[in-house]
Amino acid sequence: MKLGNLLIAGLISGSIYAVFAVCIAMWFRVSNILNLAVGDFAMLGALGTDHLVRVLHWPTAPAIVTVIVACGVGAYLYDKAILRLALDGRRRQEGIVITFFFTFALSFFIEGLAEVLFGTNIYAAPTLWQGNSLSWGGLHFERAGLLVLACAVVSGIAFTAYIRYTLSGKAVEASGESYVGASIVGIDTRRYRRNIFIMTGMLAAVFGILQSPLTGYAFNSGGTIGFTGFIAAAYAGYQKPGRAVLAGVAIGVVESLLGGYVSTQYNDTILYAILAALVLIRPSAMGLDVAVGG
Amino acid sequence: MPGAAQAQEGAAVGAAARRPALRVEHLSIKYGDVVAVHDATFAVDEGECVALVGPNGNGKSSIVMGIVGLAVRGGRVDLFGSEAPARNVNWTARHGLTLVPERRHLYPALTVLDNVVLGCYSWTRNLRKARTSAPYERALALFPELERHFRQRAGTLSGGQQQMVAIARGMAADPRLLAVDEPCLGLAEAVSKRVYQVLGEIHAEGRTLVIVEEDPRRALQLATRQVEVRNGVVV
Repeated sequence: MKLGNLLIAGLISGSIYAVFAVCIAMWFRVSNILNLAVGDFAMLGALGTDHLVRVLHWPTAPAIVTVIVACGVGAYLYDKAILRLALDGRRRQEGIVITFFFTFALSFFIEGLAEVLFGTNIYAAPTLWQGNSLSWGGLHFERAGLLVLACAVVSGIAFTAYIRYTLSGKAVEASGESYVGASIVGIDTRRYRRNIFIMTGMLAAVFGILQSPLTGYAFNSGGTIGFTGFIAAAYAGYQKPGRAVLAGVAIGVVESLLGGYVSTQYNDTILYAILAALVLIRPSAMGLDVAVGG
Repeated sequence: MPGAAQAQEGAAVGAAARRPALRVEHLSIKYGDVVAVHDATFAVDEGECVALVGPNGNGKSSIVMGIVGLAVRGGRVDLFGSEAPARNVNWTARHGLTLVPERRHLYPALTVLDNVVLGCYSWTRNLRKARTSAPYERALALFPELERHFRQRAGTLSGGQQQMVAIARGMAADPRLLAVDEPCLGLAEAVSKRVYQVLGEIHAEGRTLVIVEEDPRRALQLATRQVEVRNGVVV
């Protein structure tokens, strides 16, 4: 039973990485920019919902809707006010500059705002599927964990299907591949970039709400968890949302098994060693040459 | 009387052919302080094939980029009777002008089929409709030699094959006016001939063509008229 429960724990923690990896991969696909602020949207979702429900006594459903919409509006305004100027203005910047200055800056800004609004304690959004953990043949499933897993699978499948089976999904890919090539066939690359930025920000917020009952969130949790998604997205070459989900889940399972049978101390070391080896062996397949070049 | 009817029909076709597809007035383009194009004025009638010729670096490509909206421009551009807004390449694509740009600008990680089907984006958002459309099928049929590469990533093709994909993508947009910028740049002579052969077939369908070409002899094999550009000025 130990192996089974370790696998379940790994699937659930892997799902956490998977969703962030999907968000990072999708926006990178359309913009060639790594969004290092995606974890902060999850933190805003969790702490914002908790604040409205616990402190201001809002009902749960309106609180969730309000927080998700607020994250979408915030992402829209950031794109309008900052990213559009940086990416489309006369002095447009290269991808690596945008990544480290504008999405990193956004991450710091959100953390600062969250510290002022929510304080420094750890909180969580209300559990949406309440009750004891489910048991089956000695295996234990946290209800919130199952929601997290479902969210990862659904978002991975949805984004993969969108890219593979719709013309606008292919237009997203084209936007990331060539601005000129996309524009000359009538693809509005700015609109796609903005919409995916908003969509992934809102998805991260939904995910934060679902996942926070498992681990809790503080104002500065977003950076750490988003960075793990960044690593999972690297395994998928920052390009394929479906592969990003698989990579995220695989990372979670490997971490869990290492923690169960070796030691939790070696988790990060081994994951980074595998990543470094892949970068050296097949950098182009992982898309890292593009990621660094912007 | 059949002769008169034919003459009338011919006159009607002639009148239609004289309608302006593209009218460019006082076009100017600057990159910072550098003037790339100054006061360019010319027109292209529907059904014409016009070559924009001149030495490299004299502003030919800048004129085309300004017309389609990829470069900031001054002056006025009319496309099929409507004034084209400046810096709005999406409008141009939706109003019948498609550019096959210099260096092609394909989507290298996407397959040949995906590259071509994205040409349909200017007139539909429906993938199934695009894949079953006449322009898409016609575009794929232009270069039968590409068929065995359909599922290959465009970035792995040779330069000549990439040029063929770029022209096919342009034709999937079902353009009324196709602008082709330096279609033979860096290509072998045999491939260049093949590209011009297909451009000739496209023109024979009645489509308007604007070809930017450094070599006027090659362009005038197909073009009925040339517009010469020197030092950013139409001469």
